[in-house]
Amino acid sequence: MIIVVRDLVMRMTSGRHPLTVLDHVNLDVDAGDFVAITGPSGSGKSTLLGLLAGLDHPTSGSVTVAGVDLTRLSEDALARFRRRTIGYVFQSYHLIPTLTALENVAVPLELDGAHDPAATAMALLQDVALAERLHHYPVQLSGGEQQRVALARAVALTPPLLLADEPTGNLDSATGAQIIALLLRLRRERRSTLVMVTHDPALACHADRVVMLRDGRVVGEREGAPVALDS
Amino acid sequence: MTGGFAVRMAWRETRHAWREFLSFLACVTLGVAALASVGSFGANLDGALGREARSLLGGDVEVRSPRPLGAGIDAELEKLAADGATVARVEELSAMARDPSSARTLLVELKAVDPTYPLYGRLETAPDLPLDRLVAGDGVLVGADLLARLGRSVGDRLVIGAAEVTIHGVVTREPDRPASLVALGPRVFLTSATLARTDLVRHGSRVRYRALLRLPEGQAARPVRDGLSSATTDPAVRAVAFDDAQPGMRRFFTQVTTYLGLVGLVSLLVGGIGVASAIRTFLERRLPTIAILKCLGAPSRSIMATYLGQALVLGVAGSVGGAILGIVVQPALVGLLNGVIALEVATQPPPWIVFRAITMGVVTTLLASLWPLFTIREVRPSLVLRSRVEARLPGARRPWLVATPLVLGLIALAVWQAGSLRIGAIFVGAAAAALILLTALASGLPLLARALPRSAGLAWRHGVANLRRPGAQSGVVVVTLGVGVMLLVAVALLERSLVRQIDEEQRREAPSFFFIDVQADQRDALTTVVREAAGVTPTVTPVVRARLAAIDGVPVTREMVEQRRRRQDDRVWYLTRDYVLTFAERPPATNVVTRGRWWTDTAGGARASVEEEAARALGVDVGARLTFDVQGVPVEATVTNLRKVDWQSLTTNFFVILSPGALDGAPTTYVATARVPASAETAVQDRVVQALPNVTAIPVRDVLERLGGVLDRLALAIRAIAAFSILSGLAVMLGALTASRYQRLYESVVLRTIGASRATVLRAFAVEFGCLGIAAGLGGTALAAALAWVVLRFLLTVPWRFDPAALTMGVAATTALAVLVGFLATFRLLGRKPLAVLRHE
Repeated sequence: MIIVVRDLVMRMTSGRHPLTVLDHVNLDVDAGDFVAITGPSGSGKSTLLGLLAGLDHPTSGSVTVAGVDLTRLSEDALARFRRRTIGYVFQSYHLIPTLTALENVAVPLELDGAHDPAATAMALLQDVALAERLHHYPVQLSGGEQQRVALARAVALTPPLLLADEPTGNLDSATGAQIIALLLRLRRERRSTLVMVTHDPALACHADRVVMLRDGRVVGEREGAPVALDS
Repeated sequence: MTGGFAVRMAWRETRHAWREFLSFLACVTLGVAALASVGSFGANLDGALGREARSLLGGDVEVRSPRPLGAGIDAELEKLAADGATVARVEELSAMARDPSSARTLLVELKAVDPTYPLYGRLETAPDLPLDRLVAGDGVLVGADLLARLGRSVGDRLVIGAAEVTIHGVVTREPDRPASLVALGPRVFLTSATLARTDLVRHGSRVRYRALLRLPEGQAARPVRDGLSSATTDPAVRAVAFDDAQPGMRRFFTQVTTYLGLVGLVSLLVGGIGVASAIRTFLERRLPTIAILKCLGAPSRSIMATYLGQALVLGVAGSVGGAILGIVVQPALVGLLNGVIALEVATQPPPWIVFRAITMGVVTTLLASLWPLFTIREVRPSLVLRSRVEARLPGARRPWLVATPLVLGLIALAVWQAGSLRIGAIFVGAAAAALILLTALASGLPLLARALPRSAGLAWRHGVANLRRPGAQSGVVVVTLGVGVMLLVAVALLERSLVRQIDEEQRREAPSFFFIDVQADQRDALTTVVREAAGVTPTVTPVVRARLAAIDGVPVTREMVEQRRRRQDDRVWYLTRDYVLTFAERPPATNVVTRGRWWTDTAGGARASVEEEAARALGVDVGARLTFDVQGVPVEATVTNLRKVDWQSLTTNFFVILSPGALDGAPTTYVATARVPASAETAVQDRVVQALPNVTAIPVRDVLERLGGVLDRLALAIRAIAAFSILSGLAVMLGALTASRYQRLYESVVLRTIGASRATVLRAFAVEFGCLGIAAGLGGTALAAALAWVVLRFLLTVPWRFDPAALTMGVAATTALAVLVGFLATFRLLGRKPLAVLRHE
């Protein structure tokens, strides 16, 4: 098991009202699997994904990723953990606006003290077909291009776990399909585990397993019907 | 690894966003410039005073006394001369010079010198001839302003006392008279022989007797000074070596530059606030980036290092720029104060001053960055999951951890600048009080919004609501502008108070003239002349010169005086000065008896009334016995009361008044005061001097005008430094406006889309900037009034009066300035087409 979630509860206060975003969630994910998390908006999918990456502390319960109990780690330890273990892809790309594409991809490599981060970043960008865009700033790239840079960044350190939060949410269907194809290829090449949040049932079908969330609870699970998109 | 990443990220962030840092840079630059210019000036001035110590003193050693130096000193001087020292004797006194052709008169300062003068420094004269040639025979050397004021030229005749002299040349620089502050009139050089011919030196004249010494190479000055000191028992004789610490003038200038330096420090602190605000705004805009970096696995440490490095580099850049600006500005400062100090002050900045100013700038930047940077630790990476990122930086978890080094750092800076722990602490206390008041005012602004009635127009409500917008930095703008306003208005208030004080003295019962050295047989003549010339009768008061010989039977000896001097007791002056005694039946009108009682009869021996401060300094109270030496004759009097003297009333005031009869038989001269109409002043002066050439007429208005002139210069200099603060405040305001530019644009566009006219939007802006200006103006002027009150009451002892005109001007000017600057920075926003802006949303 690469991910073990037990009795996860997340409460937040929105204005003056307490909100239970996750209500005693349990989840297991095998290494190498592709798990899709679906559900209507407000069901807690993104929050769950964020907790898997240690982006926040749950109200109660435990999250164990790659054998490490995230709830016991300090902020800096979590950061270090994330660097090596997790590659995160956001719906809004979240590239650093003051860095070029090349520099954006190089950041995790630089943080890790890798040798020659620029060369590695360049190779990664070539792999996602952005060789001509190395020195462009995010504002000069289209949505699809930005997401490709984000993908390259996410896999730069070959993390064992990839988390994707609605990666095609801001893209048109054609571009979205390209992105998904790319994501799945990268995952396969690196044998990473992929947990993806989506409310597109068509996408969910590609997963090995689909976990359905509603009102902060797991209401169902089923097998996916993975079809190799890039064959 | 952290270092490399931080450096790279810092560079990447800065190359993109340098425009956001202009305000930051301006703040640091202005503050450092203020400090660099004042610091250089002060250091150069002190250097000049130190370098010129010998010239300023007139020699390696100086001996001076209000009486002839005496046999003991003479003998010692002869011995020293025999051992190779050069001696120059000098006598100085005030007198009247008269133009025989036009009968115009002028108060001058005579200086009779030996041919060996000057021992150090150069006397600059025109024509450039040796002094003894210029004053040979009946020649005199005069200051250029004498020629201007009497309309004379070189070669013309003058009458001084009983002697007629010829002007042989003009003196343009006198090494041991650098400050025209203390000069009553232009200088006149003459020989002792000529001085004797004027017949002005009699018993009772105020002559300063000096002996200057130039020692042979290698001989130390202090032992010679000590030798001379022990060669006399007269406590009034003073011997000074050139390297003695702190003669009065140097201390005065040190104080002036210290205060100027504190004003400069205010600029830097204002700049620091601006820097803190700029960094905060910058980091708030970077919140998404910081959150992303944390997501990607960057530890807080690296992120903090990145932005700290950025702040440091900008701080250094701004400080260096400020130092350069300060260096450029410093000659102007020297020029401003030139009239007050006629010294040769270098304009090259001493390197260590520049280094110090830059260091202060960098340290201030660091301190200002602490708080915002520490809050980076609290940024949650989960921020990226929210679709709209909050605009506020989280609060620091343990604020006291950050605040303590900040406060300590500020205190350290203040103490370093002030050179004294006490002044530094007072400065920090005052600064804290000012900041608290202004911050309170600024936070009161939003309350205004709730207080406004519903019916107030959209422009008003929107304008006031904008003050509360996150990122508007209203508080910071009010504080920084307010501090700058405080300084400028305080200077204005002080100047007005002092000038008004001077003016009032003239309009009150202050006399137009003091006539001194009037002999007994000249009283009637003086009264007649003044009556004829101006139609008023002068008030004539008898005075007797004496020195204090004993207190309660204990003689005032030289040892006692030296002991007090070593303890840095300023009030030793009360023991050594020449007392001007008078007698009176009743207390003078402007005096109030505070202890004891005035005498009602003359029986029972001589009695004395002593002024409070003098009594305190001498350690006497009612019942004490004072013995005066009136030119060899002891006069003992018992103190029966103490008086409070209103020194602001420029009438003849006395430290000690004796009962009638106590001074019978003593050599008496008279002081007369007369209050004449302004039109008659010149006539009175000229006629009196013509009729009684030995009488010195001191024109009060002239002296007060000079004083006013000096005040003007000082105030101008202080204002110049204070201007840096206002500029810093404006830089902060501009920075705040730039930072909120897009938000403002967006809002104005939305307003216009829903139907508000451009005029309405403009009015909303005007309301917003106006409120900022009024708050800063009110806070700043209130603080200025308080500051002025403190200075007037405790430092200058001049009465404080409520000055509504100046205060109103302060508020109005600040408001106008804020609105003007605000408009200049934002009016172009109104030209943008709404659709373009909304689409980019």
